[in-house]
Amino acid sequence: MKTKPPRWASRLLEIFCAPHLLEEIQGDLYERFLRNERFWGSSFARRQYAREVLSFLKPFALKRQTSDYQSTYLLQPAMIRNYFKTAWRNLLKNQFYSLINMTGLTAGLAVGMLILLWVQDELSFDRFHQKVNQIYRLENEVGTGTSKQIWTTTVAPIAEMGKKEVPEIKEAVRITDGSLYTLYKYQDKSFSDEEEVFTDPTFFTLFDFGLIKGNPAQPFPDNNSVVMTEKTAKRYFGDAEPIGKVITADGKTSFTVSGVIRDFPKNSSLKGDFFLPISHWFNVIYANRKDGRTPHNDFHEFSYVTFFQIQPGVSTTALADKLRNIHLRNKPDDTDLTYLLQALPDMHLYKADGTEGGIETVRMFVIIALLILVIACINYVNLSTARSMLRAKEVSMRKIVGAAKMQLFLQFIVETALLFSLSAFLAIGLMTLLMPFYNELSGKQLVIDFSDSQIWTVVGATIAGTLLASSIYPALLLSSFEPLKALKGKVSARLTDAVFRKILVVTQFTFTVILISGTLIIGNQLDYIHSKELGYDKDHVLSFYMRDMGAHFDAVKSELLQQPGVAGVTRANSNIVSIGMQTGATNWDGKQPGETMMIRPVAVNQDFIPFFKIKVDQGANFTGAVSDSVHFILNETAVRAARIKNPVGKRFKLWDREGTIIGVVKDFHFASMKSRIEPSIFFYDPNRAGRMFIKTTGQDAPNVIATAGRLWKQYNAEYPFKYDFLDQTFDDLYKTEQRTGTLFTVFATIAIVISCLGLFGLVAYTAQVRTREIGVRKVLGATVPGIIQLLAKDFVKLVLIAIVIAVPVAWYAMDQWLQGFAYRISIEWWMFALAGLLALAIALLTVSFQSIKAAVVNPVKSLRSE
Amino acid sequence: MRRSYLGEFEEVVLLTVAVLAEGAYGVAITDELDRQTGRAVSISAVHAALHRLEEKGMLKSHLGEATAERGGRRKRLFSVTMLGSRTLHDIRAVREQLWGSISPQGLPAVSL
Repeated sequence: MKTKPPRWASRLLEIFCAPHLLEEIQGDLYERFLRNERFWGSSFARRQYAREVLSFLKPFALKRQTSDYQSTYLLQPAMIRNYFKTAWRNLLKNQFYSLINMTGLTAGLAVGMLILLWVQDELSFDRFHQKVNQIYRLENEVGTGTSKQIWTTTVAPIAEMGKKEVPEIKEAVRITDGSLYTLYKYQDKSFSDEEEVFTDPTFFTLFDFGLIKGNPAQPFPDNNSVVMTEKTAKRYFGDAEPIGKVITADGKTSFTVSGVIRDFPKNSSLKGDFFLPISHWFNVIYANRKDGRTPHNDFHEFSYVTFFQIQPGVSTTALADKLRNIHLRNKPDDTDLTYLLQALPDMHLYKADGTEGGIETVRMFVIIALLILVIACINYVNLSTARSMLRAKEVSMRKIVGAAKMQLFLQFIVETALLFSLSAFLAIGLMTLLMPFYNELSGKQLVIDFSDSQIWTVVGATIAGTLLASSIYPALLLSSFEPLKALKGKVSARLTDAVFRKILVVTQFTFTVILISGTLIIGNQLDYIHSKELGYDKDHVLSFYMRDMGAHFDAVKSELLQQPGVAGVTRANSNIVSIGMQTGATNWDGKQPGETMMIRPVAVNQDFIPFFKIKVDQGANFTGAVSDSVHFILNETAVRAARIKNPVGKRFKLWDREGTIIGVVKDFHFASMKSRIEPSIFFYDPNRAGRMFIKTTGQDAPNVIATAGRLWKQYNAEYPFKYDFLDQTFDDLYKTEQRTGTLFTVFATIAIVISCLGLFGLVAYTAQVRTREIGVRKVLGATVPGIIQLLAKDFVKLVLIAIVIAVPVAWYAMDQWLQGFAYRISIEWWMFALAGLLALAIALLTVSFQSIKAAVVNPVKSLRSE
Repeated sequence: MRRSYLGEFEEVVLLTVAVLAEGAYGVAITDELDRQTGRAVSISAVHAALHRLEEKGMLKSHLGEATAERGGRRKRLFSVTMLGSRTLHDIRAVREQLWGSISPQGLPAVSL
């Protein structure tokens, strides 16, 4: 007879059941429980009790008794006016806290919205095309084993053959941005460096880049037509009608403008100034070919980006297989090739193989934005609940005079909403102010255009979300005081809010520690990339493509070497900082059937390796002798990938060039640290090496540039002299990472400042509440350090808990981020120790300022205060 | 004949309250229903019906004395109101009128 009904069931009933029904239901259930227990035993009775409690989860039992009086004046204009009036008075009365709250909220909202705008811009890439869900980019995966990789450019014929033979493919577009011409002229104006794009006429119909001038049915009436963007047309012809105008390219060919398209939206991955018919490109490339290759049968040249419009609902893998069959039918030895299709909107945020690219950063920033907003909300909730004790009497008086709970709830919601609208207003202003800096930091061109509904979505959702998150709890708490207890001063004993507040502070500082350690680790990784031994010397080297000067390389070189600042001159066909070319046409003794090794070939002269101080590990460098044309130098990775033992003297074949390996160089980084070092090969072919590298001593650089420029004019009179320093090119490789790093640091700092602001307010409040206690303690002999300790102890404890929670989370998150780098630092314990110490120091600094202020007050003053 | 609509279950509950007279409260009504009709009724269904009937004005209630077997909680005791009584009588009148109008061949014989 001693058993009781299950506690959880009774508790549940108490929670959900309407108070005016509770007693009878409890009674009835208990009575039945006792009887069941007597007849059937306690376990049945307990089960039956729980079942019956659950069966009361019905509307009639859930619905609270409605009072007859409430609804009449809850939303009356007079009351609403009163809500605002009280809210406003309260804001003014507590200026210090209002200021802290508003600063935190304004900063949080502004930064949160800025980040979310960035995110929204990233996510919107390429989504503006009507047929976006049907357009795919064709990619090919080539190579075997470790040298497997994905190319986003394909052979030319696959587009036409695919469209003809595969019924699911409705449309195809090829794009190639070769540089056939470098200098365009119209009357006396000339432009170099145009982004010329050769494409099929379907480009203008498949994508939403329709002609606004010209004949849409025939964008390119002939092979010498050009379609340009509005901006380009303006550059050439000013306000004159562009259609029909003739421009000359490199002085040998002329093009007639046949159409104009709108400028490309900022969030388009496809861009260009000039659009020329791809048939023109083919005519030039395949003119006078002796190997019988035409654009319709050349399965060797992978240089066309191909887009397909695919029937909705068709499996891309099956389609890719069909395309592979077509390819193999035409070129049976490409057995290592498979086709892949990537959806158009994924191009921007995912890598070619479908793994995460930019989306990682997007996700990271969404999380940071949310963290910042949550921190700002926590500030508000913490401060207003902490200060609720001070308002207990006000609430009680209101209740006694007849305020309904709902009215009080509304009053506090209005108070929060008022503060929020002020902050939101300020935040939007702040955003507008910060926009130019932010754009510079983020490399975007965001504008706050309030006629754009997208902006409103972001702004509205952010403000509504934060308002909702931070208004309800304080309002509920404040309106729930029981007047009798509150007036007797018994509210402060509510342990649960203190715990809740502590949890919030811990959450805030957990975020802070995560952000600090993230900043540290990102910074360290970026430093590591920058300072890692590259395996070659890129300092003080400028480089440019020689054009017609290439034929006079030796003369130019000897003239340059006479200059005081020049330390060396060499040539190659690609820039060592990022070698673009790659081929699988290799052969060597011991190659397995069906195996392919992708290798990056570089045409060089005999000076190249010493010029860049690349270490020769085995064998020797080129000498410049005639026999060098059949000599190769491989890097270590290539030797390893090809499994060649004692490589020097072994046979090797690159394209149709058969020869021997005369040397092996130590690996060097010729691409971003995000990717592993790949096999590469040097071959001796100075005439193909059209890029000049000049090493200066570092002192006389301007003079060297001037001399180079003069020599340039001598051979390329028509063209402007453009050069790059390798350091600059190198930095460009890491622009995105650098940017992410900077943004992360900025955001983390802001988040930390906001959470400190909250802590500051909280400590100020604690000190204020305990004024008299501190006074009494001082009178009884407490020292100033003792009192500071007393006030700081609680908060320090919370920060310590936060550190313990944050470290594993940060560890995991940063490990994920680092996985994106092939060469990375290892995460070490001191990074977290430092982050924790920093967080602790910041918290202590914030806390101690207020604590000291409270501790040094003369007790006479604080005790007299009432 | 205007009257507010009563569901079958509500009608039975209302009748049971009348049967129990003084001691009609949740548990007793449930037990009585079980005994008289032989159908297992859940206590929550009875409460819901009582609540609805009270809203319709067919029942009135007051809280009784606290008893030990209920853990010191009071019972809510129900009694039928004038409206409830009128409704029950109306229903009965309709039924009887209908029974009276059935010809002997109208219903297949049921052997009891």
